[in-house]
Amino acid sequence: MEIGRTLWLDLTLAGLITGGMYALVAVGLNLQYGLMRVMNIAHGEFLMVGAYLAYWAYTLTGVSPLLTLPAVFVALFLIGLLVFRLCFRRIARASPSVEVLEARSLLVGFGLMFLIQNGAYLAWGADLRGYEYLARPVEIAGARFGANRLVVFAFAVGVSVVLLALLRFTLFGKAVRAMMQSPRGAQLVGIDVGLLHPVVFGVGLALAGVAGALLSMIYEISPAMGEPYTVTALIVITLGGLGSAPGSLLGGLLLGLVETYGTHVSNPSMKMLLSYGVFVLVLILRPRGLFAR
Amino acid sequence: MSAARAVVATGAAALVLAAAPWLLSDFLLSLTVACLMYAGLAVSWAMFSGPTHYLSLATAAFFGLGAYVTAWGVATLPWALCVAGGGLVAAVFAALVGAAVLHLRGAYFAVLTFGLGELVRHAITYFEKSYFRTVGRVLTKTPDATTVYLTVLGVAAAAVAVAAVVRASRLGLALRGIGGDEERAQTLGVSTRRMKIAGFALSAFFAGAMGAAVAVRWTYIDPPAVFNPFIGLQTVLIAMVGGAATLGGPLASAVVFSLFTEFLRLRFPYAFLLVLGTLLIVLVLYLPGGLASLVERRRPAAAAGGAARGAGGPTRG
Amino acid sequence: MTISRWARIAVATVLVALTVTPALAQDPPVRIGYAIARTGPWAAGSQVTQEPNYLLWAEQVNAAGGLNVQGKRRKVELIGFDDRSETDTVVRTFEKLMGSDKVDLILPPWGTGANFAVMPLIQKYGYPMLAPTATGRKLIEMKNPFFFALLQQPDRIMGALADFLAAKGAKTAAVIYVDELFGLETVGALETALKAKGIEIVDKKSYPLGVKDLSPVLRDFKAKNPDAFLGITYPPDTFLATAQAKEVGFNPKVFYVAVGSAFPVYKQRMGETIEGVTGIGTWNPKTGGPAKAYFDAHVAKFQKEPDRWASAHAWAGLQILQQSVEKVGLDRKAIRDHIAATEFETIVGKIRFKDGENVTTPGIVSQWQKGEFEVVWPTDRATAPALFPKPVWK
Repeated sequence: MEIGRTLWLDLTLAGLITGGMYALVAVGLNLQYGLMRVMNIAHGEFLMVGAYLAYWAYTLTGVSPLLTLPAVFVALFLIGLLVFRLCFRRIARASPSVEVLEARSLLVGFGLMFLIQNGAYLAWGADLRGYEYLARPVEIAGARFGANRLVVFAFAVGVSVVLLALLRFTLFGKAVRAMMQSPRGAQLVGIDVGLLHPVVFGVGLALAGVAGALLSMIYEISPAMGEPYTVTALIVITLGGLGSAPGSLLGGLLLGLVETYGTHVSNPSMKMLLSYGVFVLVLILRPRGLFAR
Repeated sequence: MSAARAVVATGAAALVLAAAPWLLSDFLLSLTVACLMYAGLAVSWAMFSGPTHYLSLATAAFFGLGAYVTAWGVATLPWALCVAGGGLVAAVFAALVGAAVLHLRGAYFAVLTFGLGELVRHAITYFEKSYFRTVGRVLTKTPDATTVYLTVLGVAAAAVAVAAVVRASRLGLALRGIGGDEERAQTLGVSTRRMKIAGFALSAFFAGAMGAAVAVRWTYIDPPAVFNPFIGLQTVLIAMVGGAATLGGPLASAVVFSLFTEFLRLRFPYAFLLVLGTLLIVLVLYLPGGLASLVERRRPAAAAGGAARGAGGPTRG
Repeated sequence: MTISRWARIAVATVLVALTVTPALAQDPPVRIGYAIARTGPWAAGSQVTQEPNYLLWAEQVNAAGGLNVQGKRRKVELIGFDDRSETDTVVRTFEKLMGSDKVDLILPPWGTGANFAVMPLIQKYGYPMLAPTATGRKLIEMKNPFFFALLQQPDRIMGALADFLAAKGAKTAAVIYVDELFGLETVGALETALKAKGIEIVDKKSYPLGVKDLSPVLRDFKAKNPDAFLGITYPPDTFLATAQAKEVGFNPKVFYVAVGSAFPVYKQRMGETIEGVTGIGTWNPKTGGPAKAYFDAHVAKFQKEPDRWASAHAWAGLQILQQSVEKVGLDRKAIRDHIAATEFETIVGKIRFKDGENVTTPGIVSQWQKGEFEVVWPTDRATAPALFPKPVWK
């Protein structure tokens, strides 16, 4: 039997798919940090909110989560604008240095994390919930994968590509990149920080919500589900290079591949060791991540 | 306050607090232990991360390592050795790790230290599982509650005293210089690498010792319980809310925070985190200098030079 | 004059009221305290299996006029706190409840770790505790006279599984287990039990809690083609293993998953897929008269079903407590002695303790059939015959 060749193909595809999920979870956080140096540690909680929105839409009305995605995007975008206006704008203006800004936004992030998680517990209870959608297997090159996982992978790649295109080819994207490179210079040429910051923050949150909605097709949801995803997102964007959109996509894929090959060669228990081990190693060798600007 | 006075004040406070086991109920004693634990963790965290602005999220790793030293050793080694051993193991680990990663800055450093905590946790899980065929450990031969309390008190007091001494020492000066402008400190001849490693390791010692001391209270420990990232997060929170660049800030914040959260938890059995989160956000938005800035506003001229800047620095300047 | 007449009537009424009221005076309520996870990682389990039972029980008891304390009826007052899934908070809260508040009785927290933490306290303060979500030899080996484990221990559960497999003629098995105390201990018990029945383990892999992808392992297993897949799993991975086994097309004759298989959300989430999946379960609404009544009451109050394993053990624990208090009152030492020496009739059948372990409830294998988790082994307790082999994934 040619187990050898098809097995490695299976593993590669599985690794890429898992990696795609990691990248999708990370892309929103990367955008926020890259532009504003705001480390939104409550990222996972917004992902959780998106997951619940999709869950309720599907369970109560039967509407496919894929169709609810635009609504989730808009809802979380608006929430993002609100959160920025209430919490982060003041900090962004009043902080004397970037480090102070990072530190304070971290603290606010904690506060948001507590608030949103507890709110979810109160509103929806602590029980695990879930639904099955698009779980039928699809065959690719002789290997079988769940259709929902493939959809998530497609979205991950699609969103990253669209984001990259936006950043590179549109005027809006140019403004964002200018702000990332030199906030003061960008302001001097007339780019409106006051408009850009909340919009980008909102988009970051919206992307988190979309990731959550997609993941709800595959995994169970609960109010506590957000934190592990925040951790994953942090690892992925740091690995890929903070602020680098291609970096977080490739970083996520790399992590997925490392995990899948590694656990096959040894043991799933080694999975965490490998992931963190690779992460630490990469940062020791390349302190700004794989694809730092 | 000079270092000598701070040390004396700490000693006096410790003596007073040492009477607690004979005066307080079990519950209040436990609450005091919780306060002291976070006081020790926050002060030792601020010892390094305050002046240098290197936000470390590795507290959970050091704490957990200390806890495991106790788990492995408490049945056979004398208690003092377990606690000191916990501190030492954590310090050595910090030194080794620091040598490898202290060239990272800002968010990279923070996320990496977090990753290290998880790495240690999974390494220990794997090791325990493979060699000892177990995951958690039951601690049966433990010292009595009074001994544990006095140990925790001792570690916390030592952390405060050492932090005060460090602040006044050349190491402290070097760390503040690194925090102010690292390149400049290097050109001025400061061996920044060695100073950073020393500060990091010293701060880790107390986190490890604290973990070693507290673990016995839980009877059964396993990696998720002792390598709990929330302990690390709460430490950072407390220190920053208190004002990480000061000595008294993290200390006062630890006490207030522990008591306040306990009060909230008992008062709002269902919505405690909601209240806490809201208060935290309000605090950061309207009192960005942390609790320490409340005190400073009353003593503008006398504020020690080093207290004016820092991660929670007041926005007057 | 009108005023003085009304005044006299008023005074008379007050006097009458004062004399009559002492006779109507309520006895103080029975205060029952506990800390349990309402937030944090333990909450998903505790809010399905444990705390709803506490609330339902207190409500039912009070609706019937109160707890029967050796003939006198007194209302039950529950004093519950969130332990945030933190061991130190568990310790502190129970110290407060037992040491400072001096409640009459306590109820256990959720999970093996939290129960370990409370062990020294219940012995120090002398409060008996019936724990429905704690498993492990190490707990029982502590020989704490105040601790009573309600759940079947891993060796019994795995023994029943091995018997079931042998009876169905399964010869080979592939095993995965979670890197937790439960997983390690249970897989050890499984290996012993399977060896005794001559069933070969063709592959055995462990994985960390929170794993996101088990498909590489399941593909390996599929290639080895064992008769049975035995997953010593926790809720998130129980669902994951099921979903991914279907994805990769792994169809052994027996597909067994551990914790979580008995949860209602397993059925809700996976629908028809779980037809024929076996797991750990003790009961279902068909296992006896009181079971249906309990099930219906639970659904009526919480709009969600109890789980088919530990929920009933939690309820049984409350029944035992209730019966003991009725017999011997609120003297905690007397309650402890009574529990240790008596065989009780509960919703899961007879329960008798030996050295703190429930030695009467056998290990049970249940199987999802048409939306209900039927008990299929041992046959004398079965509510339906087993489906063997498991039908192909729908």
